[in-house]
Amino acid sequence: MWHKSVVFFEVEILDAKTKDKLCFLDKVEPNATIGEIKSMFHKSHPQWYPARQSIRLDPKGKSLKDEDVLQHLPVGTTATFYFRDLGAQISWVTVFLTEYTGPLVIYLMFYFRVPFIYAPKYDFTTSKHWVVHLACMCHSFHYVKRLLETLFVHRFSHGTMPLRNIFKNCTYYWGFAAWMAYYINHPLYTPPIYGEQQIRLALIVFLFCQIGNFSIHVALRNLRPPGSKTRKIPYPTKNPFTWIFLLVSCPNYTYELGSWLGFTLMTQCLPVAFFTLVGFIQMTVWAKGKHRSYLKEFRDYPPLRSPILPFVL
Amino acid sequence: MLSKAAHGDVAAKKKKGPGALATAYLVIYNVVMTAGWLVIAVGLVRAYLARGSYHGLYYSIEKPLKFFQTGAILEVLSRVFLTWAVTHSVREVQSEDSVLLFVTAWTVTEIIRYSFYTFSLLNHLPYLIKWARYTFFIVLYPMGVTGELLTIYAALPYVQKTGLYSVTLPNKYNFSFDYYTFLILIMISYIPLFPQLYFHMIRQRKKVLGHAEDYSKVE
Repeated sequence: MWHKSVVFFEVEILDAKTKDKLCFLDKVEPNATIGEIKSMFHKSHPQWYPARQSIRLDPKGKSLKDEDVLQHLPVGTTATFYFRDLGAQISWVTVFLTEYTGPLVIYLMFYFRVPFIYAPKYDFTTSKHWVVHLACMCHSFHYVKRLLETLFVHRFSHGTMPLRNIFKNCTYYWGFAAWMAYYINHPLYTPPIYGEQQIRLALIVFLFCQIGNFSIHVALRNLRPPGSKTRKIPYPTKNPFTWIFLLVSCPNYTYELGSWLGFTLMTQCLPVAFFTLVGFIQMTVWAKGKHRSYLKEFRDYPPLRSPILPFVL
Repeated sequence: MLSKAAHGDVAAKKKKGPGALATAYLVIYNVVMTAGWLVIAVGLVRAYLARGSYHGLYYSIEKPLKFFQTGAILEVLSRVFLTWAVTHSVREVQSEDSVLLFVTAWTVTEIIRYSFYTFSLLNHLPYLIKWARYTFFIVLYPMGVTGELLTIYAALPYVQKTGLYSVTLPNKYNFSFDYYTFLILIMISYIPLFPQLYFHMIRQRKKVLGHAEDYSKVE
């Protein structure tokens, strides 16, 4: 073991708003990461677990990353950091599991016509239209797929998000699921105008896009080794469903839109169309953001790609 | 690729506030809005004097009211909704006193508000206008809200009877909408929304008028 003289750092953490001295750490290793400093800070302030700490060089500046190393930061041997409380945090996995389980359960409640939703004479009856059974299978399949992807496929770059997001997200997903399910499973539901042809086409579109969406999720997962947070440009793989990467930055959203368009066509239900539209708007916002950060980070980013719709958007 | 200097220029321009064209547009817009609401106010007073009572006042100001309501794209949605989706759509409601209540409240509020914006844009805001904007609301907001709620409430039986703006099942879009229930939900939404708005204005008042003693009367 080499013994070399190590210059230890001193770290003081001030409150970003009040500038109060919250914590003083002496004898900090120069190769300590911000993540490790957060753990040390947590010891003296147990109510602020590392996930809710935002540590920055400047009170109004950007948050430092957990991976940043102390000696590589523009600080002297006595480093001054500013702390902001991000508020109660909740893990992405928890949020996803909660927001996706809701629609799965809620839709089934409408499908099985549990009491107090429709008139009592319909309690626990089933629809006479076979497209209603198909729609239930598709909707359920979609959310089971999402749950499994959350548990086994996705690699999250952020561990947590603010707690209030779970209420906002669940209201959106659960609310829309109830609204759609109410009409599709209603005793007075009207099946699609063009009957079997329409339903068959819709089902093909839906399945195609579900497979596509899954293929993209797997491709994105394979870009990133376990435990890493590196970002790379995604490229088409041997799987034909990923060839859309040639034209689009976020094909997962493209396929998601396609799935819901298929479901709208299948059910011919205005609330479903509305849900598809709102989702499309939100995904476009996300896709444009992702596309912009790809362009900023990679000089050689393929110029042919659009954020979400080939050549269009 | 923008050079750092060009970037700096853009940033500096942003800080100077709206350009001359935008300011001109805003001034004209606010003057027109002030004038419009003045027209409505004058119309109200004249009609009252002519009729000796305030029945049928709505008809006298209907046209300019509609024009200036829908012209104000930036207006709060409740104003447009009340005018078109409730008062206009339900004829029976138009002779109600509650209509007078909220129209009066809005009129006075808007005249003060638009004069406030006009003067602010010209960087010459008389203290009286500022004081009026942050004081009159104390009475006008509850007055307006009461008028709006009473009007919606008055419209309810007619909406239910006629099924106005409502869609029932079955239909090929598998969609339904009950305007009656929707109006009730709107009324309920006033409960969380109005106090928030009101106390926000009270806080603004403390902040803006609280320092009045420190500054000169005319800015």
